[in-house]
Amino acid sequence: MSGTTLPAVLRVPRADRASSIGYFLRHNPRMIVGGALVLAWLFIFVFARVIAPYDPLKVNVADALLPPGPAHWLGTDDLGRDVFSRVLVGSQVSLRVGIISVAIGFFVGVSLGLAAGYLGGLFDLLAMRAVDALLAFPALVLAIAITAALGPKIENAMIAIGIVAIPAYARLTRGQVLAVRAREFIVAARTIGATPLRIVMRHIFPNVVNALIVQATLSTAFAILAEAALSFLGLGPQPPDPSWGQDINYSQRYLPNLKWWMSVGPGLAIFSAVFAFNFLGDALRDALDPRLRRSG
Amino acid sequence: MTTYILRRLVLMVPVAFLVTIGVFILIRLSPGDPALVFAGEERDPTALAAIREQMGLDKPLPVQYVVWVTRLAQGDLGRSFQTHQRVLEAIVERLPATAELGLAALVFSVGVALVVGIISAIKRNSAIDLLSTSVTLAGVSFPSFFLGIVLILLFAYVIPGRIFPPGGYTAFTTDAGDNLRRLVLPAITLATASLAVNLRQVRSSLLDVFGHEYMRTARAKGLRERTVVTRHALKNALIPVVTLIGIQVGAIIEGAFITETIFFWPGIGRLAVTAIPSQDYPVVQGVVLVSAFSYMVSTLLVDVLYAWLDPRISYESATA
Repeated sequence: MSGTTLPAVLRVPRADRASSIGYFLRHNPRMIVGGALVLAWLFIFVFARVIAPYDPLKVNVADALLPPGPAHWLGTDDLGRDVFSRVLVGSQVSLRVGIISVAIGFFVGVSLGLAAGYLGGLFDLLAMRAVDALLAFPALVLAIAITAALGPKIENAMIAIGIVAIPAYARLTRGQVLAVRAREFIVAARTIGATPLRIVMRHIFPNVVNALIVQATLSTAFAILAEAALSFLGLGPQPPDPSWGQDINYSQRYLPNLKWWMSVGPGLAIFSAVFAFNFLGDALRDALDPRLRRSG
Repeated sequence: MTTYILRRLVLMVPVAFLVTIGVFILIRLSPGDPALVFAGEERDPTALAAIREQMGLDKPLPVQYVVWVTRLAQGDLGRSFQTHQRVLEAIVERLPATAELGLAALVFSVGVALVVGIISAIKRNSAIDLLSTSVTLAGVSFPSFFLGIVLILLFAYVIPGRIFPPGGYTAFTTDAGDNLRRLVLPAITLATASLAVNLRQVRSSLLDVFGHEYMRTARAKGLRERTVVTRHALKNALIPVVTLIGIQVGAIIEGAFITETIFFWPGIGRLAVTAIPSQDYPVVQGVVLVSAFSYMVSTLLVDVLYAWLDPRISYESATA
């Protein structure tokens, strides 16, 4: 996991920033496609229980293992539960873990990065060594280790993925803070007696926001993938609650009987949700990073 | 160069120390009494107290840590609660299978990325470029466990003749042909995510190099396009790809947890995954530590290689 450091973006007037995004929206359809895909998933996330045609937990043995058809678009599982409804409701687990774990990583990582970059000295040294220690683990291995230690529960999966996300935010923020810390406007703010908290929040943080938005979008994609992987290994939500990773794992036993639809629904759901956030993240990076925007 | 390597090694010490503290705390956070798990059916309080004392659980946490880390330095990772086998021995037994899978995935990922990435960069905006960039984005978004299942479904069950088995492992020394046949699907599964990242890196590095003036000079000298690409562009473009190989060691280790589980591949990832439900913490702890240290060493090796390949990299700044 190497932290990508984007160049410092000095404060741009709000109107200019808006027009720059507007310009990009007009000239880069990728942003619209990515945004629409993410919005579609967010809509499903909010209204999953309303739009799901069946109760995802309702067992109906008479309808067990039905292939996809007009009544059950993605077929049914071995207990006769509608796969499509389970995929829709499963999005609530995946996206909830994605959003909350990214929020944990964002809050802790950005606070750590701002403090380390602004204060420097011993705090910076200790904070960055702690971040290095987190980076010493392959990300998913650390998430697995934390969830295994805390117990297989959705809340623990959120904490684990959140902790894994901290280093990227901390490093990114610290790098940006170091880039702007010595600039005239910071010196000026200090000269007129602004408190360190005010300097950090009003003058430094806005310069880091663009890079953080990109990071947050991309790490939501990672969080969804990581949650699915944890659930696949039995470390996420427990049955009978629907969860994409867990449902894929469960359906694996029916592969020799060619009951493929039980895995394909949740698999494509993970793929499309992760793809949506990755796609939007890439488009946002191009839109908000002036260096990439210039080079096309 | 020696100073740089030494400095990096010294910098690794506090990080390694923090890693051991992190793993130790994680295991101590685990719910349940390790003595109870170790004892199995044994519930006699005197026996449990003896086990607790034997495991050092009756001592204060800092003392437990010092004892644990001292044993660790001697290569003692403890014993499995389930099988009572030495953890290091269990890991060493399974390491060749993981190494074989990882190496195959690395070769596949780097090989395909180089070939397709070069074609993609040379024929920018062509159909093959468009296809490879789409595959790149799809590859990083495709969950490896789903890909594994799709491959099993296709090659083991749908396509007649069962080209590749759905899982299992045969040692290379026992039957080389069967070993390779069983290796194909897990290796592709493990390689796909890294392949996507590699492909993107090869393509963008080459495109970056193509924009440099020495490329124009090489062409102006009348060199053939093939010579320009292989002698001038590729040599420079591949330097950043080296770092990716280091990063992929991490991706391969974490991917092994999933891939080995799907394909019943008897490596260290599967060892850890099967140890989790039975609360066999020494095994999980051992595998996590070995993974972290392997990742740290591979990152160091790649940094050194990178600095050696690209003389512009300042050893001073690289340590910051």
